[in-house]
Amino acid sequence: MTAIRADDISKDFGEVRALDGLSLTVDPGELFGLLGPNGAGKTTAIQLLTGQIVPDAGRVEVLGVDPAVEPVEVRRHVGILPEQVSPPSFLTPREYFDFVGTVRDLDREVLVERIDTWTDRLDFAEKLDTLNTDLSRGQQQKVMLTATFLHEPAVVFIDEPLVNLDPIVQEQVKRYLEGYVEEGNAVFLSTHHIEVAERLCSHVGVVREGRLVAERKPGSLADGESLLDTFMADVEGGATV
Amino acid sequence: MSADRGVTATLLPVMIREEWRLHSTLFGSRRFAAFPVFIALASAGTVWLLVFTGTAPDTIALWLHLLVFAFGLYTGSAGLVGRDEMRDLLGDLSLVVYSARTLPLSKRRLLATFLVKDVAYYAVLFLGPLAAAYAPAAAAAGDLARLPLLWLTLTGTFVVGLVVTFAAISARTRGRAGTATLLVGAGLVGLAWAIGIDLLDWLPYGFYRGTGGVAPAVGILATLGLAAAGLAAFDPTGEPTSRTTGPAFLRWQRRLRYDPDGLVAKSLIDVARSSGGVWKVAFSGGVLFAVTAGLVELAGTITGLEPSTGLTFGVVLGLSSFTTYNWVTQFDDLDAYRHHPIATAAVFEAKFRSFLALGLPTVIGYYLLAVGIWGERATVAVAGGVLLVGLSVYLFGLTVALTGLDPNAFLFDTARFVAFAGGAAIPLVPVLVVGFVAEPSPGLLALLAATGPALGVVGLGLFRWSVPRWTERFRKGRHGGES
Repeated sequence: MTAIRADDISKDFGEVRALDGLSLTVDPGELFGLLGPNGAGKTTAIQLLTGQIVPDAGRVEVLGVDPAVEPVEVRRHVGILPEQVSPPSFLTPREYFDFVGTVRDLDREVLVERIDTWTDRLDFAEKLDTLNTDLSRGQQQKVMLTATFLHEPAVVFIDEPLVNLDPIVQEQVKRYLEGYVEEGNAVFLSTHHIEVAERLCSHVGVVREGRLVAERKPGSLADGESLLDTFMADVEGGATV
Repeated sequence: MSADRGVTATLLPVMIREEWRLHSTLFGSRRFAAFPVFIALASAGTVWLLVFTGTAPDTIALWLHLLVFAFGLYTGSAGLVGRDEMRDLLGDLSLVVYSARTLPLSKRRLLATFLVKDVAYYAVLFLGPLAAAYAPAAAAAGDLARLPLLWLTLTGTFVVGLVVTFAAISARTRGRAGTATLLVGAGLVGLAWAIGIDLLDWLPYGFYRGTGGVAPAVGILATLGLAAAGLAAFDPTGEPTSRTTGPAFLRWQRRLRYDPDGLVAKSLIDVARSSGGVWKVAFSGGVLFAVTAGLVELAGTITGLEPSTGLTFGVVLGLSSFTTYNWVTQFDDLDAYRHHPIATAAVFEAKFRSFLALGLPTVIGYYLLAVGIWGERATVAVAGGVLLVGLSVYLFGLTVALTGLDPNAFLFDTARFVAFAGGAAIPLVPVLVVGFVAEPSPGLLALLAATGPALGVVGLGLFRWSVPRWTERFRKGRHGGES
């Protein structure tokens, strides 16, 4: 089964066309990167693919389910890490994970074990009982990353996963994502960071003004050609795919 | 012009423009611009009604000043909430007042300019219309020429309230010494009141009252001194300590009888752990209780009739639905649950349960207190109690129908505010009028008691009707900065 499929989806916000006929496919075991300049439509794409908002035209399927029709069902099976979203201010990380575990109906013992694993991986065990509002941005990002993966979803949507993280933790997250995809899961990554996409992604799409203007496989670039070069060319003058 | 004055001269218009854009972006330029007109018309109608019923213009002027003083107290805290709290309230936004982190500007200067901006804004958009609304009373007293003075004394009284809150918050940034100073100051004011000093004379209101110019002039100087002390005491480096607490979420969730997603527990924890804790809900109810008590006394003085405690408190306390709903929705919004497998309707349902858990015990407690203090016949007390519960649910449903999870939209959104005021007046006004009937007949009481459940059903109906509409609107999405 295809992990993510979007067929010709469009979305307008008033007079602004945020997405214009976007089509893409992501298979299990694939880490797809959506690249594009500010305002290109990346965040809107994630919101549409996860049923947070509905498309004006086109059709989406995630793990065989249409998120426009069954948004809660889709979100039950995927993980979503939005950009610039903080955990609830007046809960502690531990309480937020309890909340996520409740919402996702996770077994208590499994939940505790996974919290331990993630707090060790991202090195924030000592902050588990501090109110989220008193955590630094980087610590809040660690909490959000942990919450995204607690139910070990088959598909994950991530918007700028490494923002505010220190280089050591960034490396930990990159390695985790690589292993996670090798296990047969799918990741949809939205990022501005070309070097992140170049290292992690098996497949990237370049979006500009709401349209997918190019698709690349970083592993298949010609000698001497970088993803940055092709990205610049795609953004500055590429045709629609 | 000095460099400092030049910076302030630049900041002030920028902040004024920013304030306009903040509100006009949230509610639309026309709706925001219409708000002063609505304030003037609604207040003028109220003043006319009070004059018509024989209320002395001086009494109206006194109440106007007291109202404005209370509003100043409230406004003094608005500019001082932290960035995170503003984000919880209004979404992700950045204001010029926060720019000390990135620009060579002192937090004190930014804060002082912000407060001056607030005063200018409210003086023009709120206090001006309020003073104009007094025209019917001034005309009745042959005193129209003093309307500009009224505007000035209202503005001055507003500033006193604003400065008192600001100074108190500044003192709190100085730890125990600041808190002790605050308590001593409050104690001195209390002592002055206790030994019979008329504190009203020391407010700018004293100029309008005409009891002599020395006391209000000293009061104004003291206010300026307090403002300077507040700015000097404000510790811009003061950051809250890192707060830790043991895990309580699951315990709260278990205690609630039905909270499958933990959303009610989360809402209640938000209220309990934010500034003021659950006491802020009791405080809001207490303010309404005090206002109702004042109105009952005022109405009794004007009409010579003793209004029914049960019916009057039963309906007026119901208005606390708005503030309680505001508390349970202030710390999150639908965006906070976008990435969880939670239906939008479940969020609304949880807010309803949180409202019931916090709001109903509070208003019922105050209602019983009123009945205990002022007394009431058992049958009227029961009818008033039933009305209170029904009206609370009705006003909750009305608020949700008009504002979704954002009851703050009533502030400066004229159309929705008018719709709410109209919707609230439909059950409120007839019952308040009946409250003046010395001995409501058993039939009338039965009718009122039956009105309570009927209002509750209407409120629930409004709630159930509006949730799918808000859900659809939310899922259509809105355009943010980054797309």
